Amino acid sequence: MDIKKLKKDFPILFRKIGLNDLVYLDNAATSQKPVQVVEAVKDFYLEHNANVHRGIHTLSEEASGMYEDARKKVARFINAIYPEEIIFTHGATESLNMAAFSWGVPNLKKGDKILLTGFEHHSNLIPWQIVAKNTGAELKFVKTESNGTVDMSEFKNVLTPDVRLVCVAHASNVLGTILDVREISKLAHAVGALVCVDGAQAVPHIPVNIQSLGCDFYAFSGHKMLAPMGIGVLYVKKSVMEQMVPSQFGGGMIKEVSLTEASWAEAPEKFEAGTPDVGGAIGLAAAVDYLLAIGMDKVREHEIELNRHAIEKLNSIEGIKIIGPVDPEKRTGLVSFYSEKVHAHDIASVLNSSGVAVRSGHHCAMPLHKEMGLPATVRASYYIYNDLSDIDKLAEGVEKALKMLS
Amino acid sequence: MDIYKNPAKRGLLDGADVSISQSNPMCGDDVSVQLKIENGIVKDARFHGNACMVSIVSSEILLDYLVGKTLDEVKVVTKEKFLEMLNLNLSTSRIGCATLALGAVQKAVNEYEKK
Repeated sequence: MDIKKLKKDFPILFRKIGLNDLVYLDNAATSQKPVQVVEAVKDFYLEHNANVHRGIHTLSEEASGMYEDARKKVARFINAIYPEEIIFTHGATESLNMAAFSWGVPNLKKGDKILLTGFEHHSNLIPWQIVAKNTGAELKFVKTESNGTVDMSEFKNVLTPDVRLVCVAHASNVLGTILDVREISKLAHAVGALVCVDGAQAVPHIPVNIQSLGCDFYAFSGHKMLAPMGIGVLYVKKSVMEQMVPSQFGGGMIKEVSLTEASWAEAPEKFEAGTPDVGGAIGLAAAVDYLLAIGMDKVREHEIELNRHAIEKLNSIEGIKIIGPVDPEKRTGLVSFYSEKVHAHDIASVLNSSGVAVRSGHHCAMPLHKEMGLPATVRASYYIYNDLSDIDKLAEGVEKALKMLS
Repeated sequence: MDIYKNPAKRGLLDGADVSISQSNPMCGDDVSVQLKIENGIVKDARFHGNACMVSIVSSEILLDYLVGKTLDEVKVVTKEKFLEMLNLNLSTSRIGCATLALGAVQKAVNEYEKK
């Protein structure tokens, strides 16, 4: 990977924060966008913009064609069998809510169990809390090991026959832990449970092959993988999609409507009520092209190298503790840490004064932080345009913060 | 920096008349404020909890200001007035940290007056 060359595609990375060069390490929150993606969206709005579906005129046909091509491209990217298994949403949160309200509510009942990990992002936890309240189903949790992983024999123990759905993050947004979704799917299916995966932190960083993972639902966002904000994906296995009912209603999702009744279009249209984010889908397709040109294997290798360097550098700073798996190959491209003496917010503020952008807080995983007994952690998360010198600047900034404030 | 390292008002208050916790869900900060009130005047005040530098410094400045003031004087300290009083160059994301203790004080006064 030629990072210097690739970085030129991201003009924002050349701006200054005060007098310092920007070091952007908040990629788990959102990635930056290359000119290729912005140009693709611009081309759509300036040359092809029209609403999709059922327009007879040329522009509408072009827009519809581009939108459906984007769906095919995304399907190929994650190796889904059919493009119709891809539902476009506004992001992973909406995708997970759709799984909850289009599948969970109509299919779960009192006595059923939903099995989750204790480190889910709020977006793969709260929708299921509401589903449980609405259906009488109950949530249960597999314990998080002290190294931030899930022990598979423990998982087998809690995977009782009354579990109807397993909800897990493919990669934790705080710990970085990558879960063995393939094994989880195999075990879950053996007891008749379906598997819903939050892939928001995985798809941008590791090669994802849906057929090999074998899960039933898979949600992710475009904006964490170079695409614009506002476009996301819910993959649903074709046979499972038949068990889903629409949870949003209106234009674009119907077959026939009378004053008192309506019938639905075929999937996936029936799950995409209203005008979709066509520009966003086209931007996502351009992002997929960009990542494929690099190769997801290369992206992964690069992030393991950054993990290794970050873990080594941060571990050498006295008073800094890293959470999550210690093995750089067992985590996605991020590292979260804390100091017992200096609050995460203050470390982030000092880093910002050196131009280093990180996130501090509970990263939408309050139960996990409560369990660890930490009010907040600092998270540095990298992507294709970060290099070893960015990690060095992170470590220097952390040392400066500790010196100043403890 | 001195205030941050040695906040005089940080700790627990014996015989407090009212204690209120306030947390900032955005960052996980959690500050509790305790007030001792006599004849409508704040006699003493303390704070404790998990907090960042901005929370600690602003809690300290606020409580220091409040001691000796009447409840009516306390009630007119609005978020805007307090931020003016603090005179720190705060980014939008840190305003929640700076006003955490103020929120707790406002709740505490309400609670006290209900008693």
